[in-house]
Amino acid sequence: MELILKALGTLFSVLIYPGFLFVSAVGLLLAGFDRKVLARMQKRVGPPLLQPAYDFFKLLGKETLVPSRANKAVFLAAPVIGTASLAVMMLFLPIFGRAPLSLRADLIVILYLLTIPAVALILGGSASGSPFAGIGISREMVVMMAYELPLILVFLAVARKTGGSELCFSLERIVAWQAEHGPLLFHWAMIPAALAMLFVIPAEVGTQPFDAAEAETEICEGPLIEYSGAPLGLFKLNTAIKMFLMTALFCTLFLGGSGVTVTLGPIWLGAALSALLNTLILLALCLAVTLLCMTLVHAVTARLKIEHLFRFYWTVVAGLALISLILVWLGL
Amino acid sequence: MFNKLIADSLSRSPWLYHINTGSCNGCDIELVACLTPRYDAERFGFKLAGSPRHADIVVVSGPITSQSKDRLIRTLEQVPRPFCVVSLGSCPRSGNVFKGSYSVEGPLEKYIHVDVSVAGCTPKPEAIIEGLYQAARILKEKRLAIQQERKEAD
Ligand code: SF4
Repeated sequence: MELILKALGTLFSVLIYPGFLFVSAVGLLLAGFDRKVLARMQKRVGPPLLQPAYDFFKLLGKETLVPSRANKAVFLAAPVIGTASLAVMMLFLPIFGRAPLSLRADLIVILYLLTIPAVALILGGSASGSPFAGIGISREMVVMMAYELPLILVFLAVARKTGGSELCFSLERIVAWQAEHGPLLFHWAMIPAALAMLFVIPAEVGTQPFDAAEAETEICEGPLIEYSGAPLGLFKLNTAIKMFLMTALFCTLFLGGSGVTVTLGPIWLGAALSALLNTLILLALCLAVTLLCMTLVHAVTARLKIEHLFRFYWTVVAGLALISLILVWLGL
Repeated sequence: MFNKLIADSLSRSPWLYHINTGSCNGCDIELVACLTPRYDAERFGFKLAGSPRHADIVVVSGPITSQSKDRLIRTLEQVPRPFCVVSLGSCPRSGNVFKGSYSVEGPLEKYIHVDVSVAGCTPKPEAIIEGLYQAARILKEKRLAIQQERKEAD
């Protein structure tokens, strides 16, 4: 009996909260905010807030075409793999407190889980057999290498700062440390790392100045060019989910804390209320980070060429992360 | 209910794919003007897509020259159903000033069913948005018709 309950609980957290359903809804909403605010910045009225959701449901209703030269199985499986890994990743992120899944080395698992959607995009693109996709996936690989180095440096700095000499890779312990010593963003040695992370987010999601891999005006969305119908919808959903997950990861790493606890009425009511409040706080923080590092940057810049993008990440962004790492290693 | 949601979304998020079949570029500029901040067709969810596989509405401009005819037909075959075809300007409708030329093989009606035709040389952005909006509603009807067909087939 207990085993069944536990299995049901896990299923609930993978599929509904805080898994697939929750991240999809929040991700689509966040993407909607991004588009709306961007439009307002350009003095437009802009699409409705639910526009990304409409796009997703529309794509579900369209015919799915598979090109004759494509490898059908890989072509159709790629988007599903990406979505699955993103839904699982949310289980590792604690919403101010405990995470449904917690290991000793969450950060390393997350690093791998973050790579899977990008690899799925590369797989799907190469399975479609289109030359545009070929250019797109080669660029996607370069982008991946570009942001992975700074991301690892940021993770190392955080691990050293919170764990001392034994490096703490557990997100729950990082959040607990921040509850005790204050959010990492307010430790001055960590500010360069936070800035580097803010640059990594748009590259990981693939929004404007760093979207060379999916540039729709020159290579027609690159790896996505042959996709139509539901698989395309899943890829669009993946982008939206990534938007939320990356900002949530930033909030956990740099703005973590104990959150709020409500003690009201029976225990379960207090727990439910505080979970709800904490989720809302996280969403507000995510929205602020999205607007700062994606919408604002999108509105004022034009697309970078792939070699400029690579150079920018391996010099400026990696340099920022490295400064933090050195400062932290010196014990500041 | 799910089917209704999908049909509704279809009319709220139509992506455009634009084919130029030898137009003088006047209509093309006006179509892009619809997406600028002044007219902002994104209010209704319109977006330019780069690939025919992403298209919901195919916008054709130009009188259909013999060079572009085969490419037009091949592109239209790659669009996933349900989709709409909008003819933009007087050229695909009648040939306009190019009518009678040895290299013009219009009108568009000869090759595919045209759902909405926006007249003018060039049509105003307001007229184009109106036409596209009508096409979006036709899209919804087409989707409902497909669902009806499936139900009857079962
Ligand atoms: S309708 Fe007029 S403006 Fe449009 S393509 Fe034809 S000639 Fe050019």
